[in-house]
Amino acid sequence: MSFDFALAWDSLPALLNGAWMTVLITASVMAVGAVLGFGMCLVRMSRNRVLAAIGAAYVAVFRGAPSIVLLYLVYAGLPQLSVVRETPLWILFASPLFCAILGLGLNHSAYVVEILRGGLSAVPPGPVEAALALGLSPRLVFLKVRLPIAVRYGLKAYQNEALIFLKSTVAVGAVTIADLTGAANEIFSMTYDPFTPLVTAGVMYWLLTNGLRLALETLDRRLNRHLAVGVPDRRPATARQADPGAALFRRLRRSPAKPAE
Amino acid sequence: MGLLAYGAEGYGDELLAGAWVTVQLAVISYALAAVLGTLMAILTLKPRGVRWTIGRVYASVATGVPSLLVIFLLYYGGTEILHALLVPFGVDERPAISPLWAAVAALAFVYTPYLADLLRGAIQNVPKGQLEAAEALSVPRRQIWLGVLLPQALRIAYPGFVNIWVVLLKDTALVSLAGLTDLIAAAKVASGSTREPFLFYGVVVVFFVLFAAATIRLANRHARRLDRGVRPSEA
Repeated sequence: MSFDFALAWDSLPALLNGAWMTVLITASVMAVGAVLGFGMCLVRMSRNRVLAAIGAAYVAVFRGAPSIVLLYLVYAGLPQLSVVRETPLWILFASPLFCAILGLGLNHSAYVVEILRGGLSAVPPGPVEAALALGLSPRLVFLKVRLPIAVRYGLKAYQNEALIFLKSTVAVGAVTIADLTGAANEIFSMTYDPFTPLVTAGVMYWLLTNGLRLALETLDRRLNRHLAVGVPDRRPATARQADPGAALFRRLRRSPAKPAE
Repeated sequence: MGLLAYGAEGYGDELLAGAWVTVQLAVISYALAAVLGTLMAILTLKPRGVRWTIGRVYASVATGVPSLLVIFLLYYGGTEILHALLVPFGVDERPAISPLWAAVAALAFVYTPYLADLLRGAIQNVPKGQLEAAEALSVPRRQIWLGVLLPQALRIAYPGFVNIWVVLLKDTALVSLAGLTDLIAAAKVASGSTREPFLFYGVVVVFFVLFAAATIRLANRHARRLDRGVRPSEA
């Protein structure tokens, strides 16, 4: 039971290659999930009963199924349909990367639907009524008032989901894609060292998840900077008690030099 | 539908055996994580000191890496780890690790801090008067925990616990990549040899959706029962 630094150094290029694949898939799926999730959220919240039922079924199936099963379904299942096999669609579905992004995207988007829906339904009626009273068109009210508020409400939940989903990208190994875990496994099967490659990969995953967490927390702070109280106070409890009003003034301290209006 | 028949001509029995492995894995590792998470929550109750720091480092590692990676690590290296742990006790053995136990240990390792965080928050949200009243009545320490604080904390943490259960249940699907013949692996074999992926993976999806829904229903009923002493307006 030991960590072989020489082997870790030698396997770094292969692991970084795998890490790049993990990052690529994560970023693509987040983009797909945002677009698909937004669209399906509108369907899910539609006043039309049939559309709303379709949206609910979408969420139930794609959120309830493990992502690895969705990957198998897209990768092994869809090419069984002649629509896919005998048309130009086949070029897309023959690529494992496309299938992985689609399969994980379906899973991720179902979570986005529910997070966005929760955010939208939590938007207080006041700002919406105010905007309508000012004569803004319903579309503008949605885009400029409801959606921005909903995104702020949903961001914490989205952060949780994004971190879980980043870790669930290991499932792409099922459709023959060599991601970070796949690269580590490959090195294990060549060296039979059970610790070095996996621990090195673990460190990389740790950096990735914490990088994503920090990025989303920064975004959260920036979007909510008007709510000084809402900013999580990460100082030790002793410091917090010594200076009870500090949270209210931290924003002023951080961004001075703004002329008074 | 004949393909789902039980016996030699269908894959019903293979799928059922696989589903049983999945259920076993999920239930055992969740139970283990709940016990360890409770211990960890109690040990790291004060937000400072050595125990808290160790707890934070462990939580950061466990929640920062994918569970499949931990499964692989314990599956390939578990024998060596156990050997290293046993040697100080004078036991020079290299026990073999079955994939099921590697997966159980890995999932428990990963989900313990999640449950501990939930429970710690809940313990801190139990009204202070409860602890003070119990201490004033000089209830023994162990009974304060087991009879007063933990039952109330569990009630507060319940919805979060159910969420983690669903996440863990879906995470068990990954163990097929580590060579365990769970439901996914059975479906993969069946769909590979019959060329009916939609049928078999469809069955898997239905199983996971229904199993999760059934356990959530059961949990909600149980939560209502736990909440029977609380007035609805306060809940």
